[in-house]
Amino acid sequence: MWQREKKPVVGIFGFSGCAGDQLAILHMEDSTIDFFTSADIKFFHMAQSHQEVPKVDIALVEGSINTERQLKELKEIREMADVVVALGTCACYGGIQYLGEDVETFKERMEYVYGKSGEVPEFLDLVGQPRPAQPISEYIDVDIMIPGCPISAENFVPIYTKLISGLLPQKYPMPVCVECKYEGNDCFLLHGKYCLGPVTAAGCNATCPSIDISCIGCFGTYEGANYPSMIDKLKEIGLSEEEVIRKLKLFGGNKVEQALKGD
Amino acid sequence: MSKEKFPEFVELIKSKGKLFGPVKQKEKYSFEEIKDFSELDFDYQRTIISPKKFITPAKYSTLRFVKFGQTEVLPDDEPQIVMGVHPCDIHAIKILDRLFLGNIKDPYYAKRRENLIIIGHSCLPDDKCVCQSTGTDMVEDGFDLFLTELDDFYLLWVGSDKGLGIAIEAENLLEENVSEEEIQEYVRWQQERSSMFTTSIPSYKYLADIIHLNYDSDVWEQFGEKCLSCGTCSLVCPTCNCFHVDDKIMMNAEEGIRERMLDSCTLPYYSMVAGNHDFRPDRTARLKLYYTHKLKEYIGRWGQPSCVGCGRCIAYCPVDINVITVSNALFEEVCETQEVCDQ
Ligand code: SF4
Ligand code: SF4
Ligand code: SF4
Ligand code: SF4
Repeated sequence: MWQREKKPVVGIFGFSGCAGDQLAILHMEDSTIDFFTSADIKFFHMAQSHQEVPKVDIALVEGSINTERQLKELKEIREMADVVVALGTCACYGGIQYLGEDVETFKERMEYVYGKSGEVPEFLDLVGQPRPAQPISEYIDVDIMIPGCPISAENFVPIYTKLISGLLPQKYPMPVCVECKYEGNDCFLLHGKYCLGPVTAAGCNATCPSIDISCIGCFGTYEGANYPSMIDKLKEIGLSEEEVIRKLKLFGGNKVEQALKGD
Repeated sequence: MSKEKFPEFVELIKSKGKLFGPVKQKEKYSFEEIKDFSELDFDYQRTIISPKKFITPAKYSTLRFVKFGQTEVLPDDEPQIVMGVHPCDIHAIKILDRLFLGNIKDPYYAKRRENLIIIGHSCLPDDKCVCQSTGTDMVEDGFDLFLTELDDFYLLWVGSDKGLGIAIEAENLLEENVSEEEIQEYVRWQQERSSMFTTSIPSYKYLADIIHLNYDSDVWEQFGEKCLSCGTCSLVCPTCNCFHVDDKIMMNAEEGIRERMLDSCTLPYYSMVAGNHDFRPDRTARLKLYYTHKLKEYIGRWGQPSCVGCGRCIAYCPVDINVITVSNALFEEVCETQEVCDQ
């Protein structure tokens, strides 16, 4: 049915994040063994002990870029990989740590912790000098984004298996609301409660609304998001502008930042 | 049929297959599988998801494939019975039948439809029902059985051979002769029901023309600015049936499934074709498609809109974009420019 001459070489790299996406892969249970046999997994930060970085066909990159050394490594990965996949919301949009990306206050905070120089002293410098958190797309070209905090197997597997089969995954952005209606749920927004479903990328199967919890946006931004209208709606149900922005920024990272600036 | 006999009647129906009916879940209603008569609640206006879920489910697979072969996945043969379906939703199924069972029969739909028994139920409108405008407030066909609930008895209509079969089996629960008095009560009920509608689509007769005249109106922009592209309106609409197809390969990279899932023309890539050409990149163009397709193009093609007035878009769009707000805005636009509003 499809062409697959040899198993592609895959590397899974982790930068700043909770490593939850790597863990999610190991937790796929039924599929975990298949994951290790359907491709040639040469580097898996969490699951393997060797540290040599090989040449890979597909690089799955988790986490945001928070230090100089990570930035250098990220660029090396881009150099040697044919396909780079941003894995998880941190790699895609910056993640929660993106909340601290403000360059001005970042310097102040560094000085507060490390003294006047604002630099980590050499004997503590294990991972490189810190920089404000950014998604990997800020520095390199990213071919595919698989958001999620953490990623869901249901969303990850079909994209990944196409990649290792030499096929192009279909990109079809949907918001959480679509999956929420697949599940037949009632809608928070109609009952005066907030929900970020309309501005959040689908992929989680509307996990939260399906158990009666508002979506807080952990799958990052939906490509068709209409922020001005969403902000109006949330204000209409009683949230202050400040609260709305804070909620949107929690997982929205650089995309929300750009949208709020009107880019 | 007298009301005391009703539970027994439901029991009989249940013996014909998997029974579904309206169930109250917190503030919403949903068609759910019925194990016990007491779960049924016919005193409802609308479920969030219409009975289309029995014939074009949100997600289902149509094909299973391995490296060098494939097998079609057809729905199983188990009969499903859905009770409590209102006239608008029955009209919606008639529209879906026309699309899926027309010149080209969709095998997945056909199989599910064949195995579905529809038992309609009368209803009373709320302020969101606009079926009177769309002429779908009553049904003459499209069901197997239809129950009209009056004060202390039901009137039962038979709409198909399958329905007749059930009625014959239920012979001892039904009374054959309907008295003159009972007919009078039914007529009174009908009249009362007709007078209960409070919402209507303005100048419905001219809607197709009004939309045509307003094709370039700014009104669309205003709605486009508000729309969240959330897809809810399509997913809850009983006549929306667009789906999206994707092949999913399993983790072993050896086998997979082809999946259909419901889609919405309000989503950003809906009109994208090969080479990344997108005919409707903005929300305004997409909403215009939704409403011109429903309220104008369908009338041109079938003499009837593909809106059956169920009120779901009115109830569930989070930013109040629906058949009423859209047709009102377009109507007002015409009124400002033409002299057609005083009919
Ligand atoms: S509850 Fe949230 S996710 Fe579900 S439809 Fe409403 S806004 Fe969308
Ligand atoms: S519903 Fe929202 S917060 Fe919950 S898992 Fe999905 S994207 Fe994350
Ligand atoms: S357009 Fe709205 S009122 Fe008409 S059938 Fe669809 S959901 Fe119901
Ligand atoms: S019209 Fe309303 S329900 Fe439909 S996509 Fe737009 S916001 Fe969602």
